[in-house]
Amino acid sequence: MLQCIFLLSDSGEVMLEKQLTGHRVDRSICDWFWEHAISQGDSFKLLPVVASPTHYLFQIVREGITFLACTQVEMPPLMGIEFLCRVADVLSDYLGGLNEDLIKDNFVIVYQLLDEMIDNGFPLTTEPNILREMIAPPNIVSKVLSVVTGNSSNMSNTLPGATASCVPWRTTDLKHSNNEVYVDLVEEMDAIINRDGVLVKCEIFGEVQVNSHLSGLPDLTLSFANPSILNDVSFHPCVRFRPWESHQILSFVPPDGQFKLMSYRVKKLKSTPIYVKPQLTSDAGTCRLNVLVGIRNDPGKTIDSIAVQFQLPPCILSADLTSNHGTVNILANKTCSWSIGRIPKDKAPSMTGTLVLETGLERLNVFPTFQVDFRIMGVALSGLQIDKLDLKNLPTRPYKGFRALTRAGEYEVRSQF
Amino acid sequence: MIRGLALRSLCSLRVANLVEYLVGPLGLGLKDSNSYVRMVAAIGVLKLYHISVSTCVDADFPAMLKHLMLHDPDAQVVANCLSALQEIWSLEASSSEEASRDRETLLSKPVIYYLLNRMKEFSEWAQCLVLELVVKYVPSESSEIFDIMNLLEDRLQHANGAVVLATIKLFLQLTLSMTDVHQQVYERIKAPLLTLVSSGSPEQSYAVLSHLHLLVMRAPMLFSSDYKHFYCQYNEPFYVKKLKLEMLTAVANESNTYEIVTELCEYAANVDIPIARESIRAVGKIALQQYDVNAIVDRLLQFLEMEKDYVTAETLVLVKDLLRKYPQWSHDCIAVVGNISTKNIQEPKAKAALIWMLGEYSQDMHDAPYILESLIDNWDDEHSAEVRLHLLTAVLKCFFKRPPETQKALGAALAAGLVDFHQYNVSVAERVVNPPKQAVSVFADTQNSEIKDRIFDEFNTLSVVYQKGQNLQITLFQLRGLEANDKDLLLGTSEKEESRGPINNGSEYSAPMYDGSSVSMAASQTQAELTISNPTLPAHASSLAIDDLLGLGLPVASTPVPSPPPLKLNAKAGLDPGTFQQKWRQLPIASSQEYSLSPQGVVALTAPQALLRHMQGHSIHCIASGGKSPNFKFFFFAQKAEESSTFLVECIINTSSSKSQIKIKADDQSTSQAFSDLFQSALSKFGMP
Repeated sequence: MLQCIFLLSDSGEVMLEKQLTGHRVDRSICDWFWEHAISQGDSFKLLPVVASPTHYLFQIVREGITFLACTQVEMPPLMGIEFLCRVADVLSDYLGGLNEDLIKDNFVIVYQLLDEMIDNGFPLTTEPNILREMIAPPNIVSKVLSVVTGNSSNMSNTLPGATASCVPWRTTDLKHSNNEVYVDLVEEMDAIINRDGVLVKCEIFGEVQVNSHLSGLPDLTLSFANPSILNDVSFHPCVRFRPWESHQILSFVPPDGQFKLMSYRVKKLKSTPIYVKPQLTSDAGTCRLNVLVGIRNDPGKTIDSIAVQFQLPPCILSADLTSNHGTVNILANKTCSWSIGRIPKDKAPSMTGTLVLETGLERLNVFPTFQVDFRIMGVALSGLQIDKLDLKNLPTRPYKGFRALTRAGEYEVRSQF
Repeated sequence: MIRGLALRSLCSLRVANLVEYLVGPLGLGLKDSNSYVRMVAAIGVLKLYHISVSTCVDADFPAMLKHLMLHDPDAQVVANCLSALQEIWSLEASSSEEASRDRETLLSKPVIYYLLNRMKEFSEWAQCLVLELVVKYVPSESSEIFDIMNLLEDRLQHANGAVVLATIKLFLQLTLSMTDVHQQVYERIKAPLLTLVSSGSPEQSYAVLSHLHLLVMRAPMLFSSDYKHFYCQYNEPFYVKKLKLEMLTAVANESNTYEIVTELCEYAANVDIPIARESIRAVGKIALQQYDVNAIVDRLLQFLEMEKDYVTAETLVLVKDLLRKYPQWSHDCIAVVGNISTKNIQEPKAKAALIWMLGEYSQDMHDAPYILESLIDNWDDEHSAEVRLHLLTAVLKCFFKRPPETQKALGAALAAGLVDFHQYNVSVAERVVNPPKQAVSVFADTQNSEIKDRIFDEFNTLSVVYQKGQNLQITLFQLRGLEANDKDLLLGTSEKEESRGPINNGSEYSAPMYDGSSVSMAASQTQAELTISNPTLPAHASSLAIDDLLGLGLPVASTPVPSPPPLKLNAKAGLDPGTFQQKWRQLPIASSQEYSLSPQGVVALTAPQALLRHMQGHSIHCIASGGKSPNFKFFFFAQKAEESSTFLVECIINTSSSKSQIKIKADDQSTSQAFSDLFQSALSKFGMP
């Protein structure tokens, strides 16, 4: 049971305070928190749950804004964290971003949203679809209207029907002129390649994202050609469990708009689409760096926005790096990024250069880790394929669209001499 | 909508005067045709309860809520009623029997089943609430357990982490008594947990990870095939990496040690210094678990060649520990260790480790005596006591093995050591000569595992996230708890005194003295802290020890001797132990001094009685004494001859350093200095013929 929610700006100022229960939580807790955060140095390093002398604090940071929730009683930790994440998501969805000014401009809406999302410390409605019907998102028309008519309320007078229906994520009577549904497979590849060039760990975390604009109360069935490769799955509440268990079929009544139908994990993949080969050789206070990038297993589609990024070790005084393709940037915090884009057909991109070491150091003794980024449109590297999508309970034939996308998640290459 | 909003705003006004206007709308709200209003009203009742308990109960709202909870068609209303009722009843339970009975019915089979059957209708948050409730429910037979688990299995695949964790907690609790099913549950929950870790924001994955940590610590075998999930990513925050390192250490077994150690070695070369240190320590821990030591030792020796001071420092400490456990590796290690220049090592721990190795294996290391000698030359730059102690022992060891080369160094070391001998007390000195050779074993800490077990009951609570027992944390009642604790402490001491009172009558014994010795006894054990922190324990020990001390019972005879003129003491003074204690507590310390004893006195003080008789000769009476050579402790008292003004003395004598510490308290502060002189002169005459 949460007792109070604070929103702090990036300078530690309390922007918003929402007391939820009879026990008032004093604002000074924020000062305590902020001092604590500063004394810890990087606020990023602060734990998500902190015990202050009087309260437990949950904190998440989104784009410089700290969401802070206080409680004095024992409660499931994820309930607090998960709820704050939802609040952040809903707010950024409503306000079209998250920053200090946006929140200050839309105080009323933020308070209304919090009112609906949590009552007396118990989370209530957090489905964005339903919230949208109760509280109209801010837009220019409504702002003009409220100025002209003097009616400042943007609460709708009628209740969303879904709160009473058995599919709480969907309103009962939706009408779209053109019915369409899009299914996206979005995958992220996490890989670690060790200093000998061996693939230590390679895993794909994927999501099935659905964007549906369908009238009425449609019933959808999605099946995969090869569901057996999935290691573990988790579903949106709308997915019925039984058909999945018996036939690995996703049967659901979709919410309206964009949502995450399912997330899955595929592990023990054997290969990666590209290779990155860093080589470092040290000699008498300087270090030669050579990084080669190329395609290892052609996925059949073009590999886009390839980038290699690494942190120069602190013992390096200066670096001079050039590449035969793409651009190399060295930022002030000693982060070096090399954006390649696409790999050209005729040559293999490489970055070479010298690093000057601190005086007194003969050779480099810390090895940077290279983080690789890429995108592949049109293919899901895990090999997961959508077999078909059936729609029932619809007046007209809708348009169905499928897409796939793979991008690098935590893709790391470790270096050596 | 408007009705609901109005009601919510009304209930949120925390003004006691408005209560009477609240009852009517709330009653109507609970019967409203729209579920949104009912939902708001249910929470409104809880708010009303916080403002005014009596109004809420008088209007019979709890009963209405209960009815709503069991019959309302809308799941959210049910959930809100449930949460409101839970809170009202748990607050009410202490005062009214009916409420606690109601609370029991909440856990009855029909209610639980009713809620479970509607599970899918609830919102995700309400599901958490219901799951929490079901955890408290004790199924009567195992078929029920399987029913519940079958019903809830799909919850494990919910997108909301809170629901998943609540379900896992329920499953684990349900199957605690059935070992084989419990194992299956572990298998089943493994995948959802790992998925949760990789999905979601860093905050969420950290919270899940700490739960996973708990499970890994409990059942490392089950996760040994999933060790790759605990590999650290480059840009994860420090706390996540640390957690992962601990898990990697825990899951290591014969089959995966090689991979894990390889991975850990990668971290040692990492940019992040704290993590590099942690990972080296983790390597050491795995090595101590006896898997594949050969490879690990090789790795460690490679670390030494990396020429990074923090890596070298950590590794040295580890190599020392490993050598204690596996002496057979000494030759390999010594060869490498010998090449390390002592100048590069700054950290005291690492330095001490290196010196220890130099001493222990000086016969194999060609130039050990010379290294030690150069270290001794820099004795004054060495500020850490630990390093100095190790240096002394190492030189000594070296001397026994290779006398001719070390003789000079030993002389220098002893001289240097003597110079700052005064800095150390005797126990430290004793440790120098007789270093404790604690065996390095697997770091199995019973107390720790106890805490783990307790935390396990608190799965899915906040405590998991920062790994402390619930009782170590702050709660609403912390203040009250602290007061109670204080009271306990006070009670504890007064009881202690009371219990001592009757036995003490006539016998000269006072507890504080024995407290001291029991602590020192305990200090030799590892659980010293436990003993000290527990106020009842010393009391217990003291009552046990009384029998012993009675043996030291004191002679009653007193030979009055003419007291020195300025201060006359009553030779036949009497004071019962109770008064003594009372006075000792009340009076401020008048003077506190340190004297050295005459050598003869030290010789004579083989048993406490000798001194007592001597002091009695000076009209200073002893009320309690105790201790064993070389430490004695006495409580003396004396009375002025003419008046009833008394002096109280606590005297601690250490025969090995021939020092005595004296604390004097007096009724009449003005004469305390005179008494102090008197006491000192009496003490100094002790042992003289």
